[in-house]
Amino acid sequence: MIAFRSARIACLLGLCFSESLFAENQPSEPPLSQLIDQKIDAANRANEITPTPLASDSVILRRTTLDLAGRIPTVAETKAYLDDPAPDKRQKLVDRLLDSPDFAFHQANWFDAVLMNENRTDSKWLEYLRVVAAEDRPWNQMFEDLMVPPTESTDDDVNQYAITFLKKRIREPDDMANDTSRLFFGVSINCAQCHDHPLVEDWKQDHYFGFKSFFARTYLTKSDKLAEKFDAEVKFKTTAGEDKHAKMMFLTGDIVEEPNVEKSKEEREAERKLVEKATKEKDAEIPVPDFRPREQLVQVALKPENQHFLAKSIVNRLWSRFFGHGLVHPLDQMHSENPANHPEVLESATKFLIENGYHLKPLIRELVLSDTYARSSACDEEKPPYVDNFAMGQTRVLSPRQYAISLIIATTAADRFPLDMPAEEWSKQRENLERQSYSLANELELPGEHFQVSVDEALLFNNNSRVQNDLLRTSNDRLVGQLRSIDSPSQQVTSAFWNVYGREPQPEELAACQEYLESRTDRTDAAIQQLVWALITSPELRFNY
Amino acid sequence: MPNQQPSSRLVMPSRRQFLGSAAALGTAFAADMTTLDVLQSPTFASELKQQQKHVILLWLAGGASQLETWDPKPGQPTGGPYRAISTNVPGVEVCELLPKLAQRMQHTAIIRSLNTKVGDHGGGAQLMETGRRPEPGTEFPDLGAICARELGRRDSQVPDYVSMYTSTEGRRKGTSGFLGSRYAPMFLSDQMKPQNIARLEAVSVSDHQARNDLRTLLAKGFSEHRHNDVVASHNTAYQRVKGLMASETLFDVSGEPESVRAMYGPTQFGEQCLVARRLVEAGVPFVKVARAWWDSHGQNFETHRELCADLDQSMSGLLDDLEQRGLLENTLVITLGEFGRTPRINPSLGRDHFASAWSCSLSGCGVRGGSVYGKTDPQGNTVVDGEAKAGDLFATIFEAVGISTHHEYYLGSRPVPIVDFGCKAISEVLA
Repeated sequence: MIAFRSARIACLLGLCFSESLFAENQPSEPPLSQLIDQKIDAANRANEITPTPLASDSVILRRTTLDLAGRIPTVAETKAYLDDPAPDKRQKLVDRLLDSPDFAFHQANWFDAVLMNENRTDSKWLEYLRVVAAEDRPWNQMFEDLMVPPTESTDDDVNQYAITFLKKRIREPDDMANDTSRLFFGVSINCAQCHDHPLVEDWKQDHYFGFKSFFARTYLTKSDKLAEKFDAEVKFKTTAGEDKHAKMMFLTGDIVEEPNVEKSKEEREAERKLVEKATKEKDAEIPVPDFRPREQLVQVALKPENQHFLAKSIVNRLWSRFFGHGLVHPLDQMHSENPANHPEVLESATKFLIENGYHLKPLIRELVLSDTYARSSACDEEKPPYVDNFAMGQTRVLSPRQYAISLIIATTAADRFPLDMPAEEWSKQRENLERQSYSLANELELPGEHFQVSVDEALLFNNNSRVQNDLLRTSNDRLVGQLRSIDSPSQQVTSAFWNVYGREPQPEELAACQEYLESRTDRTDAAIQQLVWALITSPELRFNY
Repeated sequence: MPNQQPSSRLVMPSRRQFLGSAAALGTAFAADMTTLDVLQSPTFASELKQQQKHVILLWLAGGASQLETWDPKPGQPTGGPYRAISTNVPGVEVCELLPKLAQRMQHTAIIRSLNTKVGDHGGGAQLMETGRRPEPGTEFPDLGAICARELGRRDSQVPDYVSMYTSTEGRRKGTSGFLGSRYAPMFLSDQMKPQNIARLEAVSVSDHQARNDLRTLLAKGFSEHRHNDVVASHNTAYQRVKGLMASETLFDVSGEPESVRAMYGPTQFGEQCLVARRLVEAGVPFVKVARAWWDSHGQNFETHRELCADLDQSMSGLLDDLEQRGLLENTLVITLGEFGRTPRINPSLGRDHFASAWSCSLSGCGVRGGSVYGKTDPQGNTVVDGEAKAGDLFATIFEAVGISTHHEYYLGSRPVPIVDFGCKAISEVLA
């Protein structure tokens, strides 16, 4: 009987094996970017939706530069791109941007916004994120960094700052649990805190408290390190009024059993004292229990049969970043009751990520090289296709940091950003831009799910002296200074449009702006400042389109 | 979902219906889930009802003592040195530190039975500002943002929510949470005037206007091919600037007649109450005036003698002024803090944080004037009748100004009731 059963299993295994061999013998699959286009186009054909045409070169350049470098392209970059006759210039652009210092800066800012969701920068944490972004550290490894930050490290090891993610949430195990679940697994488990999830079969209170148990022992030592206690149990009351001890449980229901170690009362007391000492004395040795729940969480989450949570969630988050809407939306509602709008795309991209060892850059490259990414965002239909059809480019508001840096570039004289700047020099330049943009970015709200531009922002741009005295300064290194040195109003307008929008003005725009300047010849400086003000406060700079 | 009102079950089918038609509605769905209630017919009626309603929140930051204000316990070991005085409503007594308000109780309802449990400043303030306990990952809007959302007009030329404070300790910036920054407070930080509301001298009035016109023209070319709510909100924000800048004068009380200013008293709190009246008169739905610092761990009785005198004068002036202008019937004035103070008097003659049996008041719009709800024991240690939670108070406030307490907001597919689960309005204090 036993022999028979194992033979059957062997047979099943053999079948799977030969099937996968067969798959490998097929002609090689098209790149992911093409696969995405095939699936999205097919779905749109089936729904009789006509996608918008591909956007113009200058729009694709602007969109891609904002998405990968976190800034608008410089005038020199735009002109060089438009003049380049190479048929593969878009691939070259994407590869150049992914390799540029800008990418690491922008990617770090993105990580920061996603993981901390606050408009305040912790420079050590950013340092860690920049290193992670620059070396394209795999996402599963980054997850492990944040869950189990190194406790012993040299002073110059930036990895120690991975502690920031949990440290900022240390006061509330609920925050650690829910934010970890939301941000890494795409699952907001809040609803299951007080009752079994009302809409989702998958989640019970056991899941919520089971997940929270992974964090219940975590504390901060006096020496500012993350540590774990020897024990701590999570208890909860079910809606039926029953008292329950939570078992450490991953979202799939996978339970982590703690090995049962008999300890005497004295041993427990001694452990408790060690922990107490570590919380009170800076030089105390940090006790390390044999069983460490956060390490267990990393292990269970990365098991082959569980890892799809981590992988799918980051794929969905990146997709949403570049396409303005998740494959599953909202991003923290990835569950059976809220299926993906294009499940095959999600599957393929997830497979791609795992096959590429969780490196994000290769996936990002495929996403932004798709035609789906490059479609025009302008649509004159009365009812444009719904966002989850991905039949057109989406108009997406810039992050505070993207907008602030773009404002500086747009209002800086074009000759300050020559095309042939050596990489090292540009890297310094970029770091300066980060620094200079900090205080302005801080005044702007981080866009979330229900974002609307606040009137505070409009008032800031209208009446704050810094906008007038900094962005609109008349010195030669600024756009206003550059325009002052031009004689003809029509050329001034054209030059301003190239600086801010990277394009020629339309005839009616040219006429209106020219007239504005010509009717103010008694105060040309002010007139130029106001022209630039109108350009930089218009949505064409405020949005990625 | 326990304790749901029967009628809110009716919401379920219409929600499904709505989700079904979401695709047709396009991006509007994603940008503002809160428009959902448009589909519910009772809303139309309640919208008519809540026209032109306003709320002024007098925030007693730090926590005022209920024993020295609305729930005196003279003669008890916990009572302190002050007497209770009778008011113009027979049978209702308040502390003698509020003599002027005592003569205006026909406008005011007192709730003496708040049991809100949270006794630290941050947690208590959060609870009493939002009407519910915080939840990780969800940012709830505060009372001001909800009122701005429900009572304000979308295209309003005045601010929807103005928040003022008087001392550094009262400095808590309100939050519009998931309702988005459209409903965030205009916050008066270091001056009596909001930031960036005044034009720079370098830009003339006509140029300021003309460059905005030029901006509008440039924006039009961009926006007309892009039906996008965030782009629209960007343009709306710039369009509202002119009206908001015109409201600068509302913050300047120097033009008010001396007789009116005298009603409010010469203090900063008084002036801010007067600004609040001016704002409400101009159509602002929600104004918060914070008065600090009531946190009398030491010398409770001297602290309250000073602060209650200020409150008594300014709030009386506010109620009189609102009444004389016919605004009181549409304006709800709330006195509230993060908690009350211990009946026990500590060795420094102070009272400490106390959240299990304390008081607040509601005056004006929708309120049954002269009513008293709830009761504490003779020493004031516990609530013995009519225990009320933060959410119950919020439900009461909403009912008073005609906001449906069955309203739900949507976070993705998750319904968030406007009033916390299991809470309901205290009908006894409503007109």
